[in-house]
Amino acid sequence: MTELYWTDHAAWPLLASLQLLPLAGAALLLRLGEGPLPAWLGRGIAALELLLAILLYDRFDVHAAAYQFAEYLPLPGPFAYHVGADGVTVLFVLLGALIVFLLSLYSLVRGLHQETRLIATLLAVEGLMMVQLCTFNLLWLVAASALELALVGYLVGHWATSPQKDLATSRFYRFQGLGQLMLTAGVLVLGWAHRDHFGGGWTFDLLDLASQPLTPRLAALCFFLLFYGLGVRTPIFPLHGWLPTVARHGNVALAPALLLGVKLGLYGLVRFVFPLLPEAVEAWSPFVMGFAATGVFYAALLALQQTNLRALIGFAVVSHTSLAMVGLFALDPVGLQGGVLLAANFGLAVTTMMLMTGLVYRRTRSTRLDRLGGLFDRIPMIGLTFFIACLAIVGMPGTPGFDAAHLVLEAAIHQFGALPSVGAALGNVAAAGFLLWAFQRAFLAPAPAARAAPVERATGLEWFIAGVLAVVLLTAGFHMAPWLDLVEAPMRALAGRFGHV
Amino acid sequence: MSDVLTPLLLLYPAGALAAWLPPRAEQARMLAVGVHGLALILTAAVLAGFDPHQTGFQMVARTAWIPGLGIDYAVGVDGISVLFLPATVLLFLGVHLASWHVRQLPRLYHSLLLLQAGATLGVFCAVDTLLFFLFWELSLLPFYFLASLWGAGPHRNYAATQYTLVMLAGGVPLLFGFLLLAFNQAAVNGLGLPAGLSFDLIRLLDTPMPADLEWTVFLLLLLGFAVKMPVFPLHTWLPLMAMEGPVAAVSLLTGLKLGAYGLIRFAVPLAPGAAQDMHWLLAGLGTFGLLYGAVAALAQTNLRALLAYSGLSHVGLVLLGVAAFNLQGVQGAVLQLVNFTAVAGGLFLMSAFLHQRLGSTDLLALGGVAHTMPRLAGFFLFFVLAGMGLPGSSVFPAEFMILMATLQTHTGAGLAALFGLVLGAAYFLNLYRRAFLGPVGNATVAVSRDLRPRELGLVLVFALLILFFGLFPTSLLEVIRPAAEAWVARLS
Repeated sequence: MTELYWTDHAAWPLLASLQLLPLAGAALLLRLGEGPLPAWLGRGIAALELLLAILLYDRFDVHAAAYQFAEYLPLPGPFAYHVGADGVTVLFVLLGALIVFLLSLYSLVRGLHQETRLIATLLAVEGLMMVQLCTFNLLWLVAASALELALVGYLVGHWATSPQKDLATSRFYRFQGLGQLMLTAGVLVLGWAHRDHFGGGWTFDLLDLASQPLTPRLAALCFFLLFYGLGVRTPIFPLHGWLPTVARHGNVALAPALLLGVKLGLYGLVRFVFPLLPEAVEAWSPFVMGFAATGVFYAALLALQQTNLRALIGFAVVSHTSLAMVGLFALDPVGLQGGVLLAANFGLAVTTMMLMTGLVYRRTRSTRLDRLGGLFDRIPMIGLTFFIACLAIVGMPGTPGFDAAHLVLEAAIHQFGALPSVGAALGNVAAAGFLLWAFQRAFLAPAPAARAAPVERATGLEWFIAGVLAVVLLTAGFHMAPWLDLVEAPMRALAGRFGHV
Repeated sequence: MSDVLTPLLLLYPAGALAAWLPPRAEQARMLAVGVHGLALILTAAVLAGFDPHQTGFQMVARTAWIPGLGIDYAVGVDGISVLFLPATVLLFLGVHLASWHVRQLPRLYHSLLLLQAGATLGVFCAVDTLLFFLFWELSLLPFYFLASLWGAGPHRNYAATQYTLVMLAGGVPLLFGFLLLAFNQAAVNGLGLPAGLSFDLIRLLDTPMPADLEWTVFLLLLLGFAVKMPVFPLHTWLPLMAMEGPVAAVSLLTGLKLGAYGLIRFAVPLAPGAAQDMHWLLAGLGTFGLLYGAVAALAQTNLRALLAYSGLSHVGLVLLGVAAFNLQGVQGAVLQLVNFTAVAGGLFLMSAFLHQRLGSTDLLALGGVAHTMPRLAGFFLFFVLAGMGLPGSSVFPAEFMILMATLQTHTGAGLAALFGLVLGAAYFLNLYRRAFLGPVGNATVAVSRDLRPRELGLVLVFALLILFFGLFPTSLLEVIRPAAEAWVARLS
């Protein structure tokens, strides 16, 4: 794909401001110290970032199959600053900015300690996320990714809800550390191969690396390393070991929403791995499909056995991410579109579920299913929003999950035949099973006898958070066309690399 | 002609939102009745504007919905679907009236019913297969809540989840069937995916299809609709829901046979060759369901379970009418489905009246109802007789046509159906004797009051409709006929 410079569409470098604003905001907040005013300033910055993301979407030309808003700054050696956005980037930038904005409001509702520091951390994570979304330079990707995960680990430990937080953080760092190591190694091998082949200086730029020929063995090695690194992040079966522990013992909503809401692992696959290693991707796709198919059912089965809502959602994520993988690795335009949209849909839906669970936790101080129940009478809006998110995950018509899942199934029928596709669709019904069951236990079942007083009704801010999420899910569900348009051109171009037009 | 169907469909979600506005929760029910009143006016406008001499879809409104995938918002009615609109609105109105004094969360209850009504009407109006699928799935959700929160039985949560899961699983083959049809469309017009996809029923009906694909599509659609009908052995959710679900609202499941409608509307016309090849399957499922439902109904000791099984039996008869693949058969089948809304729906609403008074519809709690509630007993008898197909009721012409058609094409099945009707008389009359006649066996029955004016008005309207269309069935049959003729013409 070609590049269009930012001067074509915007008055100022939009991508740079998207990355710098939250980082600068985080630094400012840390300097100001604790207090209600800095916290509100942080929320304002998060809101501003969301506006910038919307502006980016507004200026973005969906019909041009080119990277847009590109910026280039020659920094010494292989560290050149090079960014650009395609439709997928815009989609994920919007999603990330929305999620962080809502999280900053959520922190107010929950009344967590050291609020300003929390919001500063959120903003820093957001900035690093934007770096990963926008950059073409794989070194930048690796560095930002490592920093982001370190910060999220801090978030998990510092604002944990369980005394076993050390277990959660150590597991998180061990899994992610290994993943990062693999990712770094893969990136270095790619850069080394480029220098070996073309000579000259080191480069880690996606557009340079994409043109280099790799021997099949080397390509396979790189694919394995990158796939492992991104797979741990996503997470996909069988690299998901950290998720249930972190979900259960870490924060209720903060870290899970950041990690699972914006599925950077899948984004990395589409943006970097697919264009860089098309042959290896094609060669290894049957194995990935095998893992994905197993993951759908394995995680669904485990989810059914959970007694804790948070762990249940954790396994549900693994199950659904596998379905998105099925779409991506079908490697045709329809499947790629479906996979990317499904990743965004699941991200939004899971964030919604986590946030609603957090609002419930605020009242019950527990997410154990046997301690919940009797909530729907008291907090119907929170329950309804949770339910809408369940439906989005299941792929019910009227939610963004439907069109995305339906694209994935269309691609799957074509690539793998009807039978495996029916299997995947039934896996989705299994997912519906455990989500409906969990929803019923948590919200509709009678309140447990041990609960002394009825739970507090929703505050205005809670209504706002739940309402925004419900409205976004439903409008995107009933009016999917703009999102389809957004990812169509880049995914068609990408599919071209795999011989599909 | 301007679009009437879209306002009708939009009215309900708007009403569901508006139900949260009135200051007192009880006022939500008045608002719901008002919404249905408006809807009745709109459906009257639809009927008035409907040209019964035309074969195709009328009042079609179409807008591109997801152009990238070839999905349209397209609604329209023809002779097969138009009668279901007023019938649906009436039945929903009946449900609101029958659960007038719902205590728990009344606002939510009435707004969920309104949403369900909108989705159900959408099922009857949709002309795009994916729009149909949207409404089909949307109609599950309000019911999930209705059953979970207002179910009458102790296992309501289980019943609600089971119902929703079974229906979602049934949706999978439907979706695949529709996708295969769209793929075929893309292959025929030579455009790639997703540009060539079309889910438009009118266009799909004109697209030729290879024979083996037709078989697959028919079997997928049949499977999807069979779950909803329900057909033996996929019926287990219905008796469970009848016992555990919200009593008044379950009449929507027994009264509106969406599965059978789907079979007539989509499965057979879209795969006519395969459907005809598999006439034995349809007739076999129909006969078996008819007899099984009747025998099972004989063994029931609870009014609601009995009505659920009798519904199973009735839908078997409809299947037989479809399997005949001639004009009489399909006309009878559609007429019978429309009748059900009043007869089966009415019977269930009346058992809701009983349940409200006695807290149970078990035969142990009944007995001698006719002494203290003569009007209720009288109307119940009328509906029971109508359900048995007594001449003078609108069920009679429908059953007669189906039987005539079946005796011509599947003589054995027709004879079995006759036997099934005798069984039907047996279980209905036996039930009636035990529940309504005899001495008053229960103290609650002795002190219960007869039909209130609101309830009386409701059953009176239903009864008059049954009587009127029993005496003048041609008025309905003429509406159905052109579309039914077109339906039959596709088969040859």
